Amino acid sequence: MSRHAAFRLGLAPALVVLALITIAPAIYLVLTSLTPLNLTLPDTAWDFSAPLDNYRDLLDDPRFSRSVWVQVQLSVATVVLQLAMGLGIALLLNADTPIRRFARSGFLIPMVLPPIVVGIVWRIMYAVDISPFHRLMDWVGLPIGSLITNPDTALWAIVLAESWEWFPFTMLMALAALQMVPAAPIEAARIDGASEWQTFRYVVFPFIQQTLLVAGIFRLIDSIKAFPLIFVLTDGGPGDVTEVTNYYAYRQAFTFSLWGYGSAIATLMVIGIFVLSWAIDRLTRAADTDAG
Amino acid sequence: MKASQARTTRRKMLKAGAGSLLVPLTFASGKAPAQGGKKPFEGVTLNVSCWSSTYPTLLAQYIPEFTEKTGIKVNYDTPGFPVYNQRADLELSTKGSGFDVLNVTFIYTSRWIGAGWLTPLDDFIKNPERTPADWDFADFLAGAVDPMRDKKGAVYGIPWISDVMLAGAGRFDLFKANGLAMPDTFDELDRALQVVNKKDNVAGYGVENHWGWTFIPFLQGFGGNVFRNPPDDLMPTLASPEAVEAAEFFAKLINSYGPPAAAGYTYDQVTEAMRAGRINYAPHNHVFLALLGEPGSKVTATSNFSMVPKGPKGRFPGIASHGWGIPVGAKNKEASWEFIKWAMTKEMILRLVEKHGLGSVTRKSITSSPAYKQKMVINGVDTGQLFLDTIALSSQGYMKYRTVHVYPQANAQINQAISRVVSGQMKAKESMAMAQANTLADLKRAGVKL
Repeated sequence: MSRHAAFRLGLAPALVVLALITIAPAIYLVLTSLTPLNLTLPDTAWDFSAPLDNYRDLLDDPRFSRSVWVQVQLSVATVVLQLAMGLGIALLLNADTPIRRFARSGFLIPMVLPPIVVGIVWRIMYAVDISPFHRLMDWVGLPIGSLITNPDTALWAIVLAESWEWFPFTMLMALAALQMVPAAPIEAARIDGASEWQTFRYVVFPFIQQTLLVAGIFRLIDSIKAFPLIFVLTDGGPGDVTEVTNYYAYRQAFTFSLWGYGSAIATLMVIGIFVLSWAIDRLTRAADTDAG
Repeated sequence: MKASQARTTRRKMLKAGAGSLLVPLTFASGKAPAQGGKKPFEGVTLNVSCWSSTYPTLLAQYIPEFTEKTGIKVNYDTPGFPVYNQRADLELSTKGSGFDVLNVTFIYTSRWIGAGWLTPLDDFIKNPERTPADWDFADFLAGAVDPMRDKKGAVYGIPWISDVMLAGAGRFDLFKANGLAMPDTFDELDRALQVVNKKDNVAGYGVENHWGWTFIPFLQGFGGNVFRNPPDDLMPTLASPEAVEAAEFFAKLINSYGPPAAAGYTYDQVTEAMRAGRINYAPHNHVFLALLGEPGSKVTATSNFSMVPKGPKGRFPGIASHGWGIPVGAKNKEASWEFIKWAMTKEMILRLVEKHGLGSVTRKSITSSPAYKQKMVINGVDTGQLFLDTIALSSQGYMKYRTVHVYPQANAQINQAISRVVSGQMKAKESMAMAQANTLADLKRAGVKL
């Protein structure tokens, strides 16, 4: 047996398992999206008589396009906020003192909590009657109404809660990158009279920007999976203000039993994520080449 | 000595072996094992689920008695209403065996029964070996059982609640102090709330944010409906002038007289806010309003109740029944029926009434019993009679919209539409037009010919 054949044989079991747990469900998803599968009508399961109907419907479905726009807003806002919060706190924690070591562990708590617990925490924070935040605002004479039932603030309330949950990830990545920055150029910049901001902007930031980019990509892809907070806090409302695309797919499949249509939405989401990943990969490769 | 012990052990092992062979055989034959000191269903475990309401929550504490009596262990859970419905809908659609007993939710009755996802119960009910005569199926309110039947009359659920909407005022003293009675019409309601709102720091009005349930009495009161002529004509009518007028009025009540964040109140929040005296008046389910008279309520001595107010076109309080059913894929149907029988005995229901003030029960013998009547009199008002008077209205047939198989679609659209109006995101006319268009699209997608 040749060396290559032996490698292929060794890889085969892993590839079979991979195919079973990822590719097979994906193929089933795409096949389902080509049917009008409705769970109350079992005959629709393998009805491929009008395979593109679901996709045609989606093109004319304003709720779908609206949900994509909500998703874009949510993703961009959460990624920007998480990067800003993560980097800011990482800069504050970038020193080896006992208090900072303790604080670093404390800041990780939101990320390790189960998403449903985060949802309950923020549900309480946004409950006008009992929330410490609302009570504080009342106390200082600036009472504000519910943020999650107001269409102007509901999405931003989700953005805040989502960012709180996931900024520790960007913080950890940024902190790890900051600790890899060599001391010599920083010291040289200071000797040359650079301010703190100039040192950060022209010396430290170029060292960590690739890490921040990778962290941003991870968070961007993950933001498309935002679901538990929306489920617990707003149920996609008020109206459809916080109904992101996966929530819309969930509603079609789980509330209405329209699995064919829900699968078509999910398939488009998968394609969207592939395109996004590809574009980001191209962009980062170009950035790497420029940097090199 | 040792030999004797060894013989005993072998004998015991042989008996145990024979027993272990016999038990599955007995179950396979569909009959309970003979009782010889041993519990009839020893070793059986049931998975039971129901949405979180007063009755299923109270029942949980008595389940150890059921296990003691029958040997059946019960995994029991009571998630929130929407979570339960989605979980049950999915489980039933697979015809799987994940659950042995499930709640048959009112708005899903047509869909679940029509699709053949539930087990007909007539063989269990009518067979004297399975059900003693004194369990008395005829004792259940006909109006509560009817939604659990298919077109041929077969029964698929044993109703545990007739969910009836009444009106309650926890702080009726504030009405009385201003010379106001319980409102009988929409106009009277609006005028009364203008007067009592924020009196003594109490919000005038609260309502459960399941608008697909709480908005409909207003929609129908103004002369509108969800569908043109359900169940035969399912053309949605959500953009009618009556629907728009109802949505405007409904949103006004919430925004003008509700507490902060009123649009976010779930049924349990409304109940607790009323019991704490933070919300005065609410159209709310009888089973929840009955808790105003139970320990822990701060408003027992100031509360009052009535039927829900009528609109220009009449009075249309929400009426729904939920029941215990057996999924068609359940593996232990005999044991499932044992659970349902036990959970719905006259004795059990009466216990829950006497000990916990359970309202909206479905057994006629209980609703007419002195214990129930006494418990349902809260601050001098006979809510039990209001319950029966309200149920009598169901003969008008106005609840038919709710049991059509595509009501869940309309329900979701109504929830969104009213949410848009209440939050000020859209005017009523615009929002209801959108609900109409979306419902039409959803119904067509579900294969409804319009």
